[in-house]
Amino acid sequence: MDEKQARINQILETRGKFRSLDVQAGEGYEDEKFPEPSPRFTKLMDIYYVMKNTIDMEYPYWYNRVWWQNDGDLPEIRRAKAESAALTHMTPTIWPDELLVMNKTKNWRGAFCFPWVDASFFNAQAEALMNEADAPALSESDKMSVVAAGGGNVTKSYGNVVSIAQKFGLRKEEVPVLVKVAKYWDNCSVEVKTQQYSELLPEYKKYKAYRDSVLVMFDSWAIPQGREVMNYYLPLEYGFDRLSELCDEKIDEGLGKVEHGDGLLGMSRGYYYIAMKEIIHGLSQWAENYSKKAAQLASIEKDPRQKSDYEDIQIVMHNIAHKQPQSFREALQLTLLLHFATVNEDPQSGQSIGRLGQILDPFYEKDLREGKITEEEAIELLELYRIKITSIECFASSGVTGGVLSGNTFNNLGVGGLNYEGMSAVTPLEYLIVEAAGRAKTTQPTISVLYDEKLPEDFLLKCARVTKMGFGFPAYMNNQTGMNFMIRHYGEEGMGIEDARAWMLGGCLESSPGCFQPLHYDGKVTWIPGGAGPTAGTGVHFTGLPKLLELVLTNGVDKRTGIKVFEPHGHKLDTFEDLWAAWTEYLHECIEVSLKVNNIQMDVWGKMNPPVVTSLLKPDCFTKGQIETRMGARYMGTHNFESCGTVTFINAMTSLRKNVYDEKKYTLDEMVDAMLHNFGFKTAFETGVFSPDHREATELAPKYEKIFYDCVNAPKFGNADPYADQQMVDYQNHMTPYLYSLQSCYGTDYYMCQISVSTHGPQGAITLADAGGRLAGTTYSDGSVSAAAATDKNGIYAVFESATCYDHSRNQNAQMNVKIHPSAVKGAAGTRKLLDVIRAYMRRGGFHVQFNITSSQTLKAAQAKPEEYRDLMVRVAGFTQYWCEIGKPIQDEVIYRTEYDH
Amino acid sequence: MGMTPTAMIFDIQSFSVHDGPGCRTNVFFDGCPLRCRWCANPESQLHRRQLLFSERTCKWDQGCRACRSACSRGALDVNDEHMPRINRRICASCETIECVKSCAAEALREPVREMSVDDVMRVLTRDMRDWGSGGGVTFTGGEPLMQSDFLIEVLKRCHEKMIHTAIETSGFTSTERFLDVFSLLDFAFVDVKNMDEEAHRWGTGVSNEQVLTNIAALAHSDRWHGRLVLRQPTIAGYNDSDENAEKLIDFMNENDLFEINLLKFHRLGQTKWEQLGLTYEYADKGDMSDERMSELQDMYLDAGIACYIGDNTPF
Repeated sequence: MDEKQARINQILETRGKFRSLDVQAGEGYEDEKFPEPSPRFTKLMDIYYVMKNTIDMEYPYWYNRVWWQNDGDLPEIRRAKAESAALTHMTPTIWPDELLVMNKTKNWRGAFCFPWVDASFFNAQAEALMNEADAPALSESDKMSVVAAGGGNVTKSYGNVVSIAQKFGLRKEEVPVLVKVAKYWDNCSVEVKTQQYSELLPEYKKYKAYRDSVLVMFDSWAIPQGREVMNYYLPLEYGFDRLSELCDEKIDEGLGKVEHGDGLLGMSRGYYYIAMKEIIHGLSQWAENYSKKAAQLASIEKDPRQKSDYEDIQIVMHNIAHKQPQSFREALQLTLLLHFATVNEDPQSGQSIGRLGQILDPFYEKDLREGKITEEEAIELLELYRIKITSIECFASSGVTGGVLSGNTFNNLGVGGLNYEGMSAVTPLEYLIVEAAGRAKTTQPTISVLYDEKLPEDFLLKCARVTKMGFGFPAYMNNQTGMNFMIRHYGEEGMGIEDARAWMLGGCLESSPGCFQPLHYDGKVTWIPGGAGPTAGTGVHFTGLPKLLELVLTNGVDKRTGIKVFEPHGHKLDTFEDLWAAWTEYLHECIEVSLKVNNIQMDVWGKMNPPVVTSLLKPDCFTKGQIETRMGARYMGTHNFESCGTVTFINAMTSLRKNVYDEKKYTLDEMVDAMLHNFGFKTAFETGVFSPDHREATELAPKYEKIFYDCVNAPKFGNADPYADQQMVDYQNHMTPYLYSLQSCYGTDYYMCQISVSTHGPQGAITLADAGGRLAGTTYSDGSVSAAAATDKNGIYAVFESATCYDHSRNQNAQMNVKIHPSAVKGAAGTRKLLDVIRAYMRRGGFHVQFNITSSQTLKAAQAKPEEYRDLMVRVAGFTQYWCEIGKPIQDEVIYRTEYDH
Repeated sequence: MGMTPTAMIFDIQSFSVHDGPGCRTNVFFDGCPLRCRWCANPESQLHRRQLLFSERTCKWDQGCRACRSACSRGALDVNDEHMPRINRRICASCETIECVKSCAAEALREPVREMSVDDVMRVLTRDMRDWGSGGGVTFTGGEPLMQSDFLIEVLKRCHEKMIHTAIETSGFTSTERFLDVFSLLDFAFVDVKNMDEEAHRWGTGVSNEQVLTNIAALAHSDRWHGRLVLRQPTIAGYNDSDENAEKLIDFMNENDLFEINLLKFHRLGQTKWEQLGLTYEYADKGDMSDERMSELQDMYLDAGIACYIGDNTPF
């Protein structure tokens, strides 16, 4: 607080008759700044900023070699051996100034390909790669995805580096290794096998048409893990040596033994523990390799401080290779190892860290009490942890990398929520996690506050202070809504109130089931939360609801490509009810066909490539003795239907209802004619501007002026207008029971996942103009309950009113994006006002809200001069990314979102 | 049934954070008896339909000609060379505003709408659960006191619903009316634009006598239980002198007032003057330095008056 504020407070104190009214006693009006991050963090980030994304072949080379050496072995054991070999043969790399070590590969920003999952991408380009040419885009989705050119992306080959998927650099000398390894999988990758069996479906042609028209984006096999929550419990409780012994005990008592009713799964228990022993050995040896590397570096290091750093690393890595961690630092390092091992086992994104500050708090509190660590030292470790997580890269084709992920791998860290006993779960360590996020500016891990009325106010204010910094996190999730969803959906699998309290987001917004387990440490038992289900981000993937409506109006033919996506529907569309019936028929067909294909994909993946690290960690695999994909996890009902462009669709339907059916201003033919002619404007692909705001007229424009005005001014969702909101209610009322009638490959009910990630860009790109006044090629609405860009005219509270017009706990998520001008939440009073807004939405039962607190001017300036804004971060869908690393269509969309700055 | 009053409202903004404590909804009343030369909301001065045109939003450069075809009176001229030019003499008598109803970009707007007490209360009751503790509604404008019958009705209803009410006003109305309204308010910003009668008349078109009388009457009234913060848009060359500050300090001390909010002159309203086809006198003058604002703040603080600059307030 500065001197003037002190004087003002003095005056108010002595003269004020209203002390109880408005003044927060003693509070500074200006924001207190977060301290600078530690010098170690700053040094390492300076290196990070100039690092490029790489593909490294060590892991695939060793995986491939050992896999084929074990030809004929049982799949889970063969996988465990191959993964073990790959992890333990990677060169350990330790950077000066690091305290926490390890990355996915020997390179800092390293990823690698998984040809055993997907080899066609490389095989198709083998020759081109050998000619060191750029990797051309492969599929329609890839063509429609624009990867950002800035930051660490290697969009073009240069020097000794070949660009892969417009994002990663591969050293030339490693190209032959890639090409040779990929060749092995030409006929037996997960992709090829799922394709073979899917093609036997009589409806397969239909599925192909959905994918070729980009009505549906992505296949399940492409990223079969992730969008789930890590569970670090077993190694934290037992250590690797004891876990290995436990496997021996289980083999001794169980191999070959089946109990009544075990069916086919009974025998697999014995093999499970054999596989787990293999992977446990690999994980332990991987840690040991780092210990040895650190010892070697220490032996040649002259600088005493750095030498001592290496020696510490040597001890930490050796300890966690064998025993239960005995300090906060060891525990944190162990969770990192487990995280990297998990993300190395399949192409994946959205592997959530979970509620780390609750999991590791017993370790931190013991160290603090015994004087082994200070708060500042813990914050430093947490800052360095942020760099490690930010450096996780995922290799997938450019469609997945740019189109879905915008380059982020969504490793979500949760704080808050309720503990096992149903009380606030906030721990002292969580305050430090939030503090570290405020000091150390990195995109990951994103932080999700599981908002509950029971959380301490000072904790929420601290979170709000970080949100105000404009990183886009923490984001806020409604804990009670999340728990309700859990019980509603997983109750059938036996979920009760305690496990419901352990929920967390897998990936950006995929609410995932969890459970509590008893950690014995520091002479007491702490019930720590963790994930308890497989990926909650698979099933029928991103389906463009506005595109589906377009196809109804064009009677099944995709005008962009000429593909006949559906048979003619045969509806006259002379009433709104008939239009709705035609749309739902197409939707059902699309979902039911895609469901079969994706069930085959997930099942074949699980059988060919059973996950082993995940099957070690995820409860109750180890207890049951079953691989996760053999019903090992406690909750298996995670598969769902992913919708995209919900609000764009709602607005288009509402306009049709009003202009064509209720007021009969235009015939449906006139409406379709206007859409086909883009209301007389050029398309986004003609102009290169993807913002919904850009409208370049053609000579046809005058013909459509009136209809365009009426479409733009039809009621829009997000204005507390019941006419539009009712359409959302009707849609939700239809979807919930319908999806519960569909079954995943595990025989569990479907439900709705309403996130677009970044697919609202590419799917908007392939969609014609719609009756809501959105022009061809421009982005869909970004969230699932926020208003479409610039259509909310009645302010943020009206947006909230519309958004909560149905019960959000029916679905896995509901995404609300809010852009606020920084001046609106300035100062300490501003922090309270931001919390007021968050709380307002939570009290209405809103599931999720996230903020971009950056002015449009800043974003526009950054678009013009990206080099000057290397560390600017924005919130895109459920994640935060460096501005310069996201593609232009999404940049335009973020700029155009309505900004609240009153 | 007697006539239910209605009011001309030109905007309702939710999540307003600079016009009273907490998060608020602002209701902007149309019309104002003052004619401040620096006004930030000039569209509200006249209290009748006005056509606003936003150059920045207009899509004429992307080939849009919708307004020209819509206007049956030929009041709009736009072609490849220039953006729409509005013949406001023709527009003045127009009631149908086809041009506004043709402009999908919302570059042409006619923001004022007639609202009933129920209309306003519907928005406030919708928003009230979102304000959080300490928030409420702020009536501003324009000049809300110009439509005080309506305002009093709304305030009574707010009182019933326990909504925290605030006002931003020039204070220019009869003392009786002023006290009637203020007896229903919880929080008030009243502008004192200049302590010099002559200068006040020059800047705003009216004398400051009524305003100062009202403030003094309020300070001594037992009907007032709220919190009063004086406000001054501080404009270089107009009211930024030591002398003006000294007079205001004396006035405040005489009336036992101890809070003032100095708002550094800004030009956010300039585009609206242009949108109305008017010339903005303060396009290139009136700017205040931070140093001078700080000096003025010190003068008030030395006199025992809590002085806030801009949005740097404790509420």
